[in-house]
Amino acid sequence: MSDNQTLFAAATVLGALGLWQMLPRARSGIGRVVGPLASLVSLGLFGYLAPRLMLDLNQSDTSMIAGQVIFWLLAAVTVISAAAAVTMRSPVYSAIWFALTLLGSAALLMFQGAQFLAVATIVVYAGAILVTFLFVLMLAQPEGQSHYDRVCWEPLLSACTGAVLIGILTLAMHTSFTGGDVPVVASTAAESSDILTTDHMARLGAELFGRHLIAVEVAGTLLMVALVGAIAITAHGRTGRRKETAGGRRDG
Amino acid sequence: MVAPGDGKKLREGVAMVEYELHLLHNYLIVGALLFGIGTIGFLARRNMIVMFLCVEMMLQGVSLSLVAWGRYHGNWGGQVLVIFILAVAACEAGIALAMFLMLYRRSGNLDMIFWQSLREENQSETVDVEIPEPDEADHQWPILTPAGIEPDHDTEKPLHRSHV
Repeated sequence: MSDNQTLFAAATVLGALGLWQMLPRARSGIGRVVGPLASLVSLGLFGYLAPRLMLDLNQSDTSMIAGQVIFWLLAAVTVISAAAAVTMRSPVYSAIWFALTLLGSAALLMFQGAQFLAVATIVVYAGAILVTFLFVLMLAQPEGQSHYDRVCWEPLLSACTGAVLIGILTLAMHTSFTGGDVPVVASTAAESSDILTTDHMARLGAELFGRHLIAVEVAGTLLMVALVGAIAITAHGRTGRRKETAGGRRDG
Repeated sequence: MVAPGDGKKLREGVAMVEYELHLLHNYLIVGALLFGIGTIGFLARRNMIVMFLCVEMMLQGVSLSLVAWGRYHGNWGGQVLVIFILAVAACEAGIALAMFLMLYRRSGNLDMIFWQSLREENQSETVDVEIPEPDEADHQWPILTPAGIEPDHDTEKPLHRSHV
C-alpha cells in the first residue's frame, strides 16, 4: 500500500469521525470543536490527495489547471453542504443545505458536459422534490424542531459504515484503475467524444427517443401510476380515519 | 513513416486520454463521498423526511458517477440512465411524501421510532436514554434588519389636509 493510499484511508476515517461528532446528539464542549475540525482536515487531505492518487500528470498543462481549480471548488461546495445537510438539527435547514448540494452537483454535471441533466436536476430536484419536502415539513412539523431531531440511531456505527463504504468504493476504483484495462477503453473513446458536440440536446433526444423509446414509455406510465397512487394513499387514509372515528363514536 | 505532425497529435491524444481518466477518477471520488455521506445520514437520522433527503443524496452520488462513466466511454448510456433515475426519484418522492403524511396523521410526529413495533421479534426495543435539551442557538431564527420606522399614531392630527 502506497503512502497516498494510507493517507487516503486516514482522510476517510477522519471525515467519518468528524461526521460522528457533528451528528445531532448530546454534545460535549470538545465534540463541538473537534467534529468540524476533523471534517475540515479530512476535506483538505482529500483535496490534496485525490489528484495524486492514481496518476501523476507528466506534463503540467496550464489550461487544465483552471479547470481543475473550478472542479475542486464545486466538489468542495457539494461535499461540505452534503455533510451540513446530514448533520443539521433542524430539518428545514438540512433541506436548504441539500438544495445547495443539488446546485453543486448540477454544476458538476454541467462541468462534465451534461447540460440537459444539469438543468433537469435543478428543475426536478430543487424545484419540485425539495419544495414538496418543505411543504410536508410545514404541514407535519409546524413548530420547527422536535426532540427526535436532537438524537440519532447509533451515530458511531453509522459513521463507521459510511467510512467503510467510501473506502471500499475508492479502493475498488483504485485497483481497477491500476489494473490497466480501463485506459484501453479511453484511447478509443476520447477521439469520438459524442457527448461534447454542440448539438448536445438534439443527440440526447435522438438517443432517448430512438434506442430507449420503450423505456421512456414505461417511465411515463410509472409517473402516471405514482401520481394515482399518491392520491389514492392520501384519499384512502382520510376515509379510513373517518371510519375509525365513526366506529369509535358508535362504541362510545 | 511518421509525418512531423503525427508526433504532436499523438502527444495531444495521450494528454487527452490522461485528462479524461483524471476527470473520471475525480468524479468517482466525489460520487463515492456523496453516497457515503448519504448512507451515514440515512442510518443515523430519525426524522423520516431527513432520511429521505439522504436517500436522494445517495442517488445524486450515483448520478455523478454514471455521467462520468458516460463521458469517459463517449456514449449516452450514462446520461440516459440518469434521466430515468430522475423520473423514478420523482415517483418515489411523490409516493413517499404521501405516505409520510398518512404516517404523521396516525402517529402525530415524523419520528421513525414510533414504528419500531414492526421490528424483528428478537430485537430489543429502543428507548431514548437521554434527550439533549434544545440549544439556545436552535431557537434563534434569522431576523431581517428593520426597515423604516414606525410612524406615531397620533389620531388627533389629521393625516390628510382637508382643504388645500
